[in-house]
This record gives sequence, structure tokens and C-alpha cells, in this order.
Amino acid sequence: MKRALPGVLAGAVTLALPAFLDDSALAVYIFLGLAAMVTVGVSLLMGYAGQVSLGQGAFYAVGAYTAGLLTVQGGPPLAGLLAAPVAAAAFALVVGVPLLRLRGHHLAFATLATQLILLSLAGQLEFTGGDIGLQGIPQFSAGSFEVGGAAGYAYLTWAGLALVMLVTRNVIASRAGRGLRALATSETAAASSGVPVGRYKLAVFSLSAAFAGLAGGIYAFYVGYVAPGSFPVLLSVEYIVMAVVGGLGTVWGAVAGAAVITLLVQVLNVVGTLPGMPSYAPGVLSYAVYALVLIVVVLFLPRGLVPSVAGRLPARRGRSRPRAARPDPDLRT
Amino acid sequence: MLRIDGVSRSFGGVYAVRDVSLGVAEGEAHGVIGPNGAGKSTLFNLITGHLAAERGTISFDGVRVDRMPPHRRAALGVSIVFQGARVFHGMTVRENVMVGAHSRTRAGFAAAALRLPRHRREEREIAERADRELARVGLTEWAGHPAGSLPFGRQRAMQLARALCAGPRLLLLDEPASGLRAGEREALAVLVEELRATGLTIMLIEHDVAFVARLVDRVTVLDLGRIIAQGTPERIRSEPAVVSAYLGEST
Repeated sequence: MKRALPGVLAGAVTLALPAFLDDSALAVYIFLGLAAMVTVGVSLLMGYAGQVSLGQGAFYAVGAYTAGLLTVQGGPPLAGLLAAPVAAAAFALVVGVPLLRLRGHHLAFATLATQLILLSLAGQLEFTGGDIGLQGIPQFSAGSFEVGGAAGYAYLTWAGLALVMLVTRNVIASRAGRGLRALATSETAAASSGVPVGRYKLAVFSLSAAFAGLAGGIYAFYVGYVAPGSFPVLLSVEYIVMAVVGGLGTVWGAVAGAAVITLLVQVLNVVGTLPGMPSYAPGVLSYAVYALVLIVVVLFLPRGLVPSVAGRLPARRGRSRPRAARPDPDLRT
Repeated sequence: MLRIDGVSRSFGGVYAVRDVSLGVAEGEAHGVIGPNGAGKSTLFNLITGHLAAERGTISFDGVRVDRMPPHRRAALGVSIVFQGARVFHGMTVRENVMVGAHSRTRAGFAAAALRLPRHRREEREIAERADRELARVGLTEWAGHPAGSLPFGRQRAMQLARALCAGPRLLLLDEPASGLRAGEREALAVLVEELRATGLTIMLIEHDVAFVARLVDRVTVLDLGRIIAQGTPERIRSEPAVVSAYLGEST
């Protein structure tokens, strides 16, 4: 019970927070939560199952477009929100069959290419609205209940993140999760223990895509507008940076990483737009910060924020909990 | 139980295993010996499915398995203890062993995500089973430790527990005694004898002829990918072809 306390506390505080925030602060809250949802998936994929994806932004986009397309013509928003993760997972399943034959940076580049192709398709096709995108996505509602203000979306995001974290935690500690963590170190040994390696990689890829898709769906309703420009490649890079900064292979690390990076970018945005700053300052600062933060963390906290902090607390030491897998050096050729 | 028929596999034009045929009966302990590069590990990889045979057939319990992926062969009851430690990092010793039960359990992602009662029951059973196997190899007190922190000999024992956790029908041991200290070797030999006594079918690769002779019913000797002799350990030891392969032609 003691172990769950910080989590329960964090949950309670963040749940109470939207009541005290103004609209611009709520926007940060929502974007932070959405980023955290995607990052938990990245952490599951990279940290536990050992697969890299530089294309999570693509799944986020699929979710957002799905929700948008279904509701712009008057479809029920609830169906749009539910379809978002399903469509993203299905898309991941289809592209994953060829892509997951690749490993390491090959896989990273292939997923990156997937996102680029998807964005240029969305920019060309008529039904996605081309470069202009989809406009006039309705507010989210379920039955007679309609989410109006930003606070409503904040609660929706909170619930989405809680769901994503719960599912991830449950999967990690299960038979399926052990199979994933096993194949991250040695696909050979995992297969010999009966783990269907190919199918499991596909499953975790789809699950992480579903998380991104759900976040994308909430995004579409909140912003009310989606276009190819909403999902730059930098977004996918951002999720990786968040996952690494927070600590790969920890659920809370992903959330902490998303929080740290989102807030840092906000601060830099404020600094970059101060009077007297050159016009290119905000752009340069945000790009530079990803690079800098990544370098600093990899150099000084290679395990990420949360594991490093948790490791310093003596009470937690020696406790066996699922952690990120380390690849077997003798198996990498 | 295991029937290998005319199996070949080459790497870059050089045969690692060439036209090998052998049968292993239910309950038999079968040794595979031969000098370095004889194709022993390749033969095991062909049996587990990590390598595909270019020619020939492999059947297990009368079922053709030579086109099956490794995890399906594992589900049929083929388990292997690899030569290295093959630790799954970032997991405890118990979790490592629990992975072994993968093919005999069913709960998937959905059951895990929803924490269905069926899943919880199965988790409990897997954990109990893993603890039994850990006790068998003498690792009970290490169960909660990170697997990576175990000394090498214990990692090997853990891998054996993982293989046993699958409830195998055919257990492949690839040089299980290599790198072990004398006491650990003896403990391993005793354990293999116990497993034999339970009727488990075992195939054992080993360099040390004396070690094999004590543990197996029959021996297959490989040299340069071919079988050069087959028979009981006593017969093999006096076989001229084996003596020359091991000790060199000139002696």
C-alpha cells in the first residue's frame, strides 16, 4: 500500500488541478497528458519490448484523423473516440508486418518513413481535406453529456492517461509482459521458451499505437481541427526524448518525462517570445532543448529521471519490480 | 520420439551438418559428442527450429516439425538449455523461470490488461510451478533477485529451471557443464540423472567424454558435420574413428 501512495497522491492532485487552472494553463495540462499517453506506449515498446519507433506521431495522427473524419459529417463523437485507438492499432498491425522484420535503427527509420508517407498522403487526399485538413470537428459528447470547456477535456485526458497507465502496468506484470521482456533480451531464447516472437512484437507495436491513437482522438475533439501540419516528425522525436528522459521501461518515468519536457518547452516559449528576442528564438530554443536535454540525461542519468531518483531512496532498493530490459551483448551481431 | 532423417545445413557453402540421420527413443538419454566445429550446436538448432534444414526431415512424436517456428516446437515439448547463460535481463530469477511456462499457458494481452480472474489464477499456477523448478535446481533463495546479478553457474541452473518449467518431453542440453566449477558439475550430473529417472528424454552435447558416458544410454559422434560413430558409450570409446577424431590421426 505504501508503494502505491505516491501514485495515488499524484492522481488525486492532478485530478483536482483542472478546477484551479485558467484556459491557457489547461491547454498545457491537456497537451502534457496527451503526450504522456503516447510516451507510456513508447516506453512499453522501447523499454520493455526493446523495439524502437520514430513514428508514434503517425499513430497519433491516425487516431486524430479517425475521430475527425467520423464526426465531421455528424457521426457520434463517442464512436469517433472509440474508433481512434482501434484504427491506429489496425494501421500499426498492417505496417508492422513488414516493418517489424527490421531491428534497431533500421526499424526507427522505417517507422519515421511511415509517418512521412502518411503525412504526405493526408496532404494529398481529398477526403482528409488535403493540406488544409479537417475543420469543424464537433465538441466531444457521449449521449446527453457534452464536454464543453477545456476543463472537460482535461478530465477526459486524465481518464485516458489513467487507463493507458493501468493497462500498461497490468500487461507488464503478466505472462504476455514477461514474454515481451524476454524477447527484448534474446529473441532466440524467448522463442525456445514458447514465446511467439513475431506475433508479440506486432501486438506490442499495435498496443503502443492504440495509446497514441486514443491521445490523437482526444486531441482532435479538443482542438477541433486536424491537418498534416499538426503532426510534424518532431512530435515523434519528442515522445522518444520524453521516454528516455523519464526513464525507459517505467510507466511513471514516461509520465514524468512528458511533464518535464512539456513544461520546459513552455518556459522556453515564454523566454523565446520575450520582447527583444529575435524572431527565430522560439524555434531554435525548442529544437535545441530536445538535443540538450537528451544529451544531458544520457550522460548523467542514463537510466532516466524516475529510476535514478527511485534508486537513491534506500527503502526501495532490492525490491524486485519489472524493469527495462537490456539487450544481450552477445546476441547483437 | 525424435526422428532425424538425412538432414543437412550449410553456411556459405560449407556443411555444418551433412546428411545426419538419428533417432532418439522415448526415455532415452542421448549424448552428442565431437570436436569443435563438428556441428553439434547446429544440429540442436535444427531440432529447436532456430535454423532451417536445407534437406531432410525432422519429426517429433510422428509430427513433421522441420518447417515449424521454434515457439511451436516448444509447445510440442522441445526445450533447450543454451550454451551461454541466456538470461532475460531486467527480470527476477523467478520471472525468468516463469517465461519457461509460456507455451503451456494461455492468457494473452487482453486477459492481462483486464486482470481477468482466469488470468490471476493462471499467474498463481505459473509462479508455483516456477518455484518448484527453482527448488529443484537449488535456487529458491535467489527467486526474488535480479537474474543478471546471479553468478554464471547459477544463471545456467536458472536456465535449466526455465526449460523444466515448460514441462518438456525432450530436453536438449548444449554443453551444460561448460564453465561450471567441480561442485556445480557434480550437482548438474546428479540432476540430469534424476531427470532421466523420471523418464524424460534428454539429448546432451558435451566435450568431456567421461561426463557423457556416465549420463547417457547412447552416443552419436559428429565430426565435420557427419556422423562418424553411434552406439553405447563403451563401444564409442573403443571406436578407432572416434579416437582419431579426438586425438588426431598420427597417434
